[in-house]
Amino acid sequence: MNIVVCIKQVPESPKLKMDRDRMTVIREGADSVINPLDCVALVAGVELRNQLGGEITVLSMGPPQTAGALREALAYGADRAILLSDPVFAGADTLATSHVLAAAISRLDVFPDLVLCGTHTIDSDTAHVGPQVAEELDLPQVCAVNEIFPEEDGLVVKRVEDGVLETLRVRLPALLTVSKELCAPGSLSLGGLSRAFSFGEVTCWDHRDLGLEPGEVGFEGSATWVVKLSSPPPRSKGEIVQGTSAVLCETLIRKLESLGILDEESAE
Amino acid sequence: MRRVQSSDACGRVWVFGDYRNYFKNRVTLQLIARAKDLAGKLDTGVTVLLLGERVHQWAMEYVAHGADTVVVVDLPALKDYRAETYSGIMSQLVELYRPEIILGGATRFGRELFPRLAKRLDTGLSSDCVDLEIDPSDRGLVQITPAFGGELLAEIVCPNRRPQMATVHPGTFKELPHDASAVGCILYPELEIIPDERVEKIRSRPERDRETRLEDAPLVIVGGRGMGSKDQFETLFELADLLGAEVGATLPAIQAGWAAPDRLIGQTGRIVKPKLLISIGTSGALQYTAGIRGAETIIAINRDPKASIFRMADLGIVGDGRTIVGLLLEELRKRF
Ligand SMILES: Cc1cc2nc3c(=O)[nH]c(=O)nc-3n(C[C@H](O)[C@H](O)[C@H](O)COP(=O)(O)OP(=O)(O)OC[C@H]3O[C@@H](n4cnc5c(N)ncnc54)[C@H](O)[C@@H]3O)c2cc1C
Ligand SMILES: Nc1ncnc2c1ncn2[C@@H]1O[C@H](COP(=O)(O)O)[C@@H](O)[C@H]1O
Repeated sequence: MNIVVCIKQVPESPKLKMDRDRMTVIREGADSVINPLDCVALVAGVELRNQLGGEITVLSMGPPQTAGALREALAYGADRAILLSDPVFAGADTLATSHVLAAAISRLDVFPDLVLCGTHTIDSDTAHVGPQVAEELDLPQVCAVNEIFPEEDGLVVKRVEDGVLETLRVRLPALLTVSKELCAPGSLSLGGLSRAFSFGEVTCWDHRDLGLEPGEVGFEGSATWVVKLSSPPPRSKGEIVQGTSAVLCETLIRKLESLGILDEESAE
Repeated sequence: MRRVQSSDACGRVWVFGDYRNYFKNRVTLQLIARAKDLAGKLDTGVTVLLLGERVHQWAMEYVAHGADTVVVVDLPALKDYRAETYSGIMSQLVELYRPEIILGGATRFGRELFPRLAKRLDTGLSSDCVDLEIDPSDRGLVQITPAFGGELLAEIVCPNRRPQMATVHPGTFKELPHDASAVGCILYPELEIIPDERVEKIRSRPERDRETRLEDAPLVIVGGRGMGSKDQFETLFELADLLGAEVGATLPAIQAGWAAPDRLIGQTGRIVKPKLLISIGTSGALQYTAGIRGAETIIAINRDPKASIFRMADLGIVGDGRTIVGLLLEELRKRF
């Protein structure tokens, strides 16, 4: 089974710096890791590959230093790594990001049987990219999968959706996004470590390699723009009280009483 | 069957009718209420899309809660929520009626369907919005969502493409009261439907009912990292029992195992709108406060007078949360 895993490099700390002119995140300089759920996708991919044969290609769109995340993915057992990096890719919303990823996948020598993504990233947390890549490649999708069983000519997967436990059969090729319940990212083994360092080549593709126009990618190719960033407004001019715990507890009780919380019936 | 080709037949602010878990998850009704405000500013009406098998009952509900029009596509092939088939039908409806705005709940299915549909329509989408407005200058939809690690609120627009799409967390807006005398128009468009059978259901069963009913609770107590330990966090459950409250938790408290993950409050968790919320040992990060903004009254206890939670508290108590909870418990045990 040939598998593509889409991984994104994300800042380790949730606090990001902003480019206030373009209203996008400055990623340079921040400590970066592979998005945790993308590690889960990678582990799942490696397990399937080990069971069924085939190759794993990892893809990531990002600035040049994203090569580090891809090399790490090779160390975890991926066979091939492709970096999608180009200054014109910068400032992409999810529509433009998924366009680049889908273009890259359709340019692989062999179209994959399975594309794996995380359900969402910790920095942008949109959970858009997986379904959008699926749509552009006309693949069926199942999101937030927590178990995968290979079958004759497809996969059986499980997931929990709005309070319903579902077991589904998916025909291949398909795209799955994986949830954290699938497996712990800690179970990644560095089996491929030496291979990554000796053969750990990361191929880089830019917009020309993908046959894309600058206007359809990055900031230019994005449908949504961030027009304003603001601190959330203060909700109310509340009262702030200080003092000993006993006095503060008294204040709290008086407040609860004034709100009617300590009336007999409401205690029921 | 009524065939309507004119795009004017149908309001231009759309809501996806997400009827699964109707009694627990009122997000569609909440969105209809907000869509009505938005539609008023755009001189148009609210249309709910209802896809499924034998779903007419919901159409009446949506009208009673404020929908002007309900577009119903009722077919056995739509029995199960499937993003591929549903987005195919919805894109045909968009083609037919040309909406300005499509809103949906940020339920699991909403978050699976909307990105796929946005891609098919080649338009923008913002997820998990905390507010929606109309910009009077260009009548565009301003989508307000927490951004960049939660420090900030971002205003997102989609100036050059239509429709404008957004998902909103359940509990963000208030539903309108049920009005049995409301009148609405129900349309049954004729569509060519090609069900996508590449994903097939083998089995489904309801997950064990969640015990917590945080969204509906009138009184919520949230504990954060400042509670310090599992034992201390337990005192919040005692307090909640005495007061008839529900307990929520911030992400660090969940990660430490002090409370079950389904008690997470905030952007990635649940959004609550109680009459009173007591927030103890929480700093007030925006991803968390995104989940409590709708509380009528907020009392915060934090030992740091500069904690940003105090900026949104009606009563801010600067002190040790554990001690104060301990004292309060003693006092309440005396009373009840
Ligand atoms: C994409 C993303 C999504 C997220 N989603 C959510 C979400 O949905 N919900 C959520 O909660 N978080 C979420 N987070 C995490 C969020 O950013 C914060 O880290 C988190 O809310 C902080 O929790 P806290 O206030 O309990 O902890 P801290 O920020 O560590 O604050 C602890 C507070 O307790 C006070 N304190 C300490 N001891 C005491 C004491 N004895 N008495 C009184 N006060 C005391 C301290 O002064 C401090 O202010 C998300 C983060 C990211 C990146
Ligand atoms: N720049 C990117 N490069 C590769 N994969 C990505 C990128 N952005 C998002 N993804 C994939 O899409 C998933 C969902 O991301 P998001 O929509 O940002 O929450 C991630 O878990 C990744 O698998």
